[in-house]
Amino acid sequence: MKRGTRVLARKVLNSFITLLLVIVINFMLFRMMPGDPVNFMVPQDPRIPHEYKLELIEEYGLRDPLHEQFITYIFDVFTLDFGDSFIQRQTPAMDYVLEYLKWTLILTGTSSILMIVIGMFMGIYAAWKRGSMFDTGSMAFSLFFYAMPTFWLAMMFILLFAIMWPVFPTDSALAYGTTLEFNLDSILDMLYHLVLPAVTLTLVSIGAFALIMRGSLIDVMTEEYITTAKAKGLTDSDVLRHHAVPNAMLPMIALIAIDIAYIVGGAFQVEYVFNYPGIGWATILAVYDNDWPVLQAAFFIIAVAVIIANLLADLLLVYMDPRVKLG
Amino acid sequence: MIEIGATEGANRHNRHSLASLLSGPTREKLGLLKKKTMMTWAVFRKNKLGMAGLIILIGFLVMAVFAAQIMWILSVIGGWDSAYGPFDRVERVGLGTKPSSEHWLGTDLNGYDLLSRTIYGSRVSLLVGLVATAVSMGLGSAVGLLSGYWGGWKDEVLMRITDVFLVLPWLVLMIVLAAVLPGGPTVGKVILVIGITGWSSTARIVRAQVLSIKERAFVERARAIGAGDIHIVRKHVFPNVFPLVFANSILTIALSILSESTLSFIRLGPRSVDVVTWGNMLEDAVTGDAIINDLYLWVIVPGLCIVFVVLGFTFVGYALDEIFNPKLRRR
Repeated sequence: MKRGTRVLARKVLNSFITLLLVIVINFMLFRMMPGDPVNFMVPQDPRIPHEYKLELIEEYGLRDPLHEQFITYIFDVFTLDFGDSFIQRQTPAMDYVLEYLKWTLILTGTSSILMIVIGMFMGIYAAWKRGSMFDTGSMAFSLFFYAMPTFWLAMMFILLFAIMWPVFPTDSALAYGTTLEFNLDSILDMLYHLVLPAVTLTLVSIGAFALIMRGSLIDVMTEEYITTAKAKGLTDSDVLRHHAVPNAMLPMIALIAIDIAYIVGGAFQVEYVFNYPGIGWATILAVYDNDWPVLQAAFFIIAVAVIIANLLADLLLVYMDPRVKLG
Repeated sequence: MIEIGATEGANRHNRHSLASLLSGPTREKLGLLKKKTMMTWAVFRKNKLGMAGLIILIGFLVMAVFAAQIMWILSVIGGWDSAYGPFDRVERVGLGTKPSSEHWLGTDLNGYDLLSRTIYGSRVSLLVGLVATAVSMGLGSAVGLLSGYWGGWKDEVLMRITDVFLVLPWLVLMIVLAAVLPGGPTVGKVILVIGITGWSSTARIVRAQVLSIKERAFVERARAIGAGDIHIVRKHVFPNVFPLVFANSILTIALSILSESTLSFIRLGPRSVDVVTWGNMLEDAVTGDAIINDLYLWVIVPGLCIVFVVLGFTFVGYALDEIFNPKLRRR
C-alpha cells in the first residue's frame, strides 16, 4: 500500500509541475515574443479610445520590468483573470471561453465513450478470431480512418448526409435561436445536432483503441495463466471474460491518457467544420480576430482540462494495476 | 567516478576513431552494415502491408519529383492546349468549373486547373512532412539521449518539459504557435511549428531505450576499459536506439503531413501565391462552396491524396517497427 501512495503522490506532483510550466509558457508566448507585447495585450483597433488602451497598459504593467509583469500575471492567472475579449469588450475572456467549454465537453465526452466501448469490443473480437475476415477487416478499417484527416472526414459527412441524403444538420449545436434546456425537445434537438460531429470524432480515433486492445489481448493470451485456466476446464468465454480481458485492459487505460490530446485536436477540427460552438471553434475564431486574451484563456483552460483528465487516467491505472499498489 | 574517467577516455577514443576511418576496419564495418540492411530488407519484403505502403510512397515520390513531366504526358494523352501548371489561370476567376475533357478535375475559384494543383501539391506536403520530422526527431533524440544518459535532476527537468509537450493537444499548441510566432505564413515557419510540437514522444522512446542500454553488461565492460561518455553513446547507445527512432520517424512523417494539411485547412499553413498544398486546396474548396456547387472532386481527390500518403507512411512505419522491435516480431 505504501508504494501505491508514493506513486499517487508522485503523479499528482508531476501534474502540478506540468501545470506550472504551462502557465509559464503561456506568459512567454504572449509577452516575450519579438515585437511589442502591447500588440498582444492591447487591442489595436483604432476605434477603441486611446484612454482605454493606456488603462490596459497600466493594468497589465506592460511598461514594468519583465519579472514584475510576471508577478502580476501569476496573480491574474490564479484569479482566472485574462482580461476582456478584444472583440466582445466588457466580456471577460475567461467567461467567454467557459461558455464554449460546455459544448466541447459534450462532444468529446460522447465520442470518447463511443470510441472506447466500440474500439474495445472490436479489438477483443478481432483478437479472439485472429486471422479471420473480421480481424483483417477491422484492422483495415482502423488504419484507414486513422490515416484520414479529421476535417476531411467531416467534409465527406457533410457531402453525404447534408447534400446527397439530407438527414442530419451540419451547423451549430441546437436549432437556430434556442438554448439548451432540461426538457425532452431541447435534449433531443441537441442529440440530433450532435450525431455527425460525434460520429466523425469517434471514427477517426476508434482505430487506435481497437488496435491496442487487439495487441494487448493477443499478448495476454500467450501467458501461462491462460493455459492454466484452459487446463482447469474453463470454457473459452470464461477464460476470455475472467482471465484475459481484465489483464489486457491496462494498456487501454494507458492509451486513454495518451489519446486525450489527440481527441481534443480532433474536436477542434470537427467543431470548425460543423460550426459547432465549442472551445476549438472559439479558439480558431480568436486567432482570426487577433483576440489574444481569449486565445490565452482558451489555451489555459484546455491545458488544465487535459492535465486533469490525464491525471485521472493515470490514477485509474494505478488503481487497476495490483503490481503498482502492492509491489 | 564516471565523470573523471570520461574526458580521458573520450580523448583516447577520438584518436582511435580518426585512425580507423582511413583503415581496413571501416570497409569491414561497411560490409557489415550492408549485410544488416539486406537482412532487414529480406524481412521487410515479406510484410505485405509494408510493401503496399512502400509502393504507395514511391508513387507519390515520383509524382512530386516529376510533376511537370507527368502533366506533359497527360496533356498529350488528353489532347489539351498545354500542360497546365498549378498557377496558370486557365479559367476566369469565379466559383470554379466542373470536370471537363480539358480539366479532368475541373478548376477552382481562382481559375486554376485542379488536376495540376493536386499533382504539384504533393511537393510541399512531402517536403513539410520530411523536414518537420527531421526537426522533431533531432530535438527528441537529443533530449532523450541527454535525459537518459545524465539521469538525476537534469533528467527530471527535461522530462517535466517533455511532459508539457506530451500532454498538451498538438493542434492547440500548433495553433497558438502559428498565431504568435513572428513572420508571415511561410513554409519554413510551418515546418518549425510542426517540429517544435512533435518531438516529445521521440524523447520518451529514446530515453527509455537509453536507460535500459545503460544498464547492460557491454556498457559496463566498455566503461571498465576506460571508454568515455561520447564513445559509449556513439558506439553502444546510438546503434541500439537508431532502429527504433527510424521506425518511429516514419510514423512521425505521417503525423507531420496530417498536421500540415490541418494547419493549411484552418488558414494557418503556408499561404502565398506560389505555394499549393492539399490542405490549401481543401480550404479553397470551403471558400468556394465546392460541396454546395456540385464540385465534389475538388474535395474528394486532395483528401484521398492525404489519406494514401499517410497510409503509406503508416504501413511502412508499422512494418519497420515490427522488424526492429523484437517484442512484436514473435507475433
